[in-house]
Amino acid sequence: MNKRKWFLHFLWRSLSQRKGRVAVASASVMIAAAIVVSALGISLGIRQKLGGELRSYGANVIITPKEEKYLSDEVFSFLSSDVEVEDFSGQLYARVSVNGADVEMIGLDFKKLQGWRIEGRTPAEGEILIGTNIRDALGLKLNDAVKVTVGDRDILMKVSGFVERGGPEDNAVMLDLAQSQRLTGLVGKLSAVFVRVKSRNIGETVKALRDHMPYVNVKTLRQVAFAEESFLKKIELLMALVTLVVLVASGISVSSTMSATVLERLKEIGLMKAIGGTKNSIRRFYLAEGCIIGIIGGLSGYVLGFLSAQAVSKGAFGSFISIPFYVFFISLGMGVLIAVSSSILPVTDALRYKPSSILRGE
Amino acid sequence: MEFISVKDVVKEYETAVALRGVDMDVEKGRWVSIVGPSGSGKSTLLNIIGGLDSPTKGSVFIDGVDLGSLSEDAMARFRRENIGFVFQQSHLVPYLTSVENVMLAQYFHSITDEAEAVEALNRVGLGHRLHHRPSQLSGGEQQRVCIARALINSPKILLADEPTGNLDRENTRLILELLKKLHSEEHFTIILVTHDPFVSKWAERLLTMEDGRIIKDEPLYC
Repeated sequence: MNKRKWFLHFLWRSLSQRKGRVAVASASVMIAAAIVVSALGISLGIRQKLGGELRSYGANVIITPKEEKYLSDEVFSFLSSDVEVEDFSGQLYARVSVNGADVEMIGLDFKKLQGWRIEGRTPAEGEILIGTNIRDALGLKLNDAVKVTVGDRDILMKVSGFVERGGPEDNAVMLDLAQSQRLTGLVGKLSAVFVRVKSRNIGETVKALRDHMPYVNVKTLRQVAFAEESFLKKIELLMALVTLVVLVASGISVSSTMSATVLERLKEIGLMKAIGGTKNSIRRFYLAEGCIIGIIGGLSGYVLGFLSAQAVSKGAFGSFISIPFYVFFISLGMGVLIAVSSSILPVTDALRYKPSSILRGE
Repeated sequence: MEFISVKDVVKEYETAVALRGVDMDVEKGRWVSIVGPSGSGKSTLLNIIGGLDSPTKGSVFIDGVDLGSLSEDAMARFRRENIGFVFQQSHLVPYLTSVENVMLAQYFHSITDEAEAVEALNRVGLGHRLHHRPSQLSGGEQQRVCIARALINSPKILLADEPTGNLDRENTRLILELLKKLHSEEHFTIILVTHDPFVSKWAERLLTMEDGRIIKDEPLYC
């Protein structure tokens, strides 16, 4: 058996002798890793989701017609070419009648929406999405046929679903934008365009839009933009603080477990010194044990953290989040760092003692 | 200079003086016993000769090497090359088998060789206990594993601190006969500390200590 194999063999023997302690130490690391992965995953995902939520609520810039009643599709062409514009979507508003009740109709691009919780499905051609207040007022059910009156035209449409957002959508009916434009005879027309501009350049981009399109109103939802960034930063700071506290707590817990382990094995350390082990060769055993504990904790912590983050995201946003794979390496690295750094001090302390003192039981 | 040379070694602790200027020379290949009452300083002297402790004053030379000039790691390397230890409490690693305990000494020395470790255990009569853990061995068997571990790297010196202190008379005799056999075959130097006159008489030379000093130095004829 060569020295490396013997080292691993001894390591295995040592760890399997102390399964309880290894489990406790690994559990401490696992919890820390799980919280870090969860916090990081949620933090990364929340930026993605929150941005999506605010996009679907309304962007940070709204373009509306200045003197004309409607905007034309040409606005889209200009916005497509601006690199500071992250996304945009047009909407068309009109008054229609549904089963005799006068309601607002919103034509919008359902493909650009995220995070809408729809009971049913988004409307296809010939279908209509109903706000929950309208549903309740008219006593509608899924797949019901409704008579939609636009001007002097009556069209039968099928109810594809219901939506409740706590906003104006609850009191409106919604159709695909192109369909709404055809129904109302306003093909190529828009009532508003919602634009999402990169927050850091919002002022400059708005000015550029105004300069290039003097015939439209360009307004910033300044409070939304700043609140979004501020909120995200607060979330990230909170996550960072929680992570820090957890790391410290975990480090203390693992350190005390490792201290107890080293104390238990003081005679073993004394013996190793007596039979010719140098400080580094002895230290290597214990740090390797710490490394194994860190790997076990880091791996299991990643799985637990990943599942927790998904559970939180599903609960909060109704969907899962995408956690970058590098978080796995962060979890593993962090686990090893906690365990190894918690081992260094007790081992180094034990190595200070003379072998004679240890073996004598002092 | 003799093979082992102890020059005016003093060891002081905060509340006591363990050694009060000990001088001692040991020829290569000799078996020396050190006897004395509890607290006479014999174990302290042995530890200082083995580099497990350091003197407050004085020096120890082994084969011309001044132990005081060695760093802690250098001392560890010197020990693994030259000195084997047998302790009263055998200090075997409890979760390793007999073979593995012997291989631990090999690991720190050079390479681990299981066949060699098995051979060492066979020589001490434990060929049938290779894969037993210390808790499965008797006191005498544990000490034999300890002797195999101490001698696996062919040291020049064997330091034994009350090696039979926890054993009954029969096992004591067995251990001493084993040491005598190995000593005659391999000619290492033995320094054995004991409070038992029966054990001390197996040596070739007897040093008597009292109150931190060597008060008698006499040859023994076995």
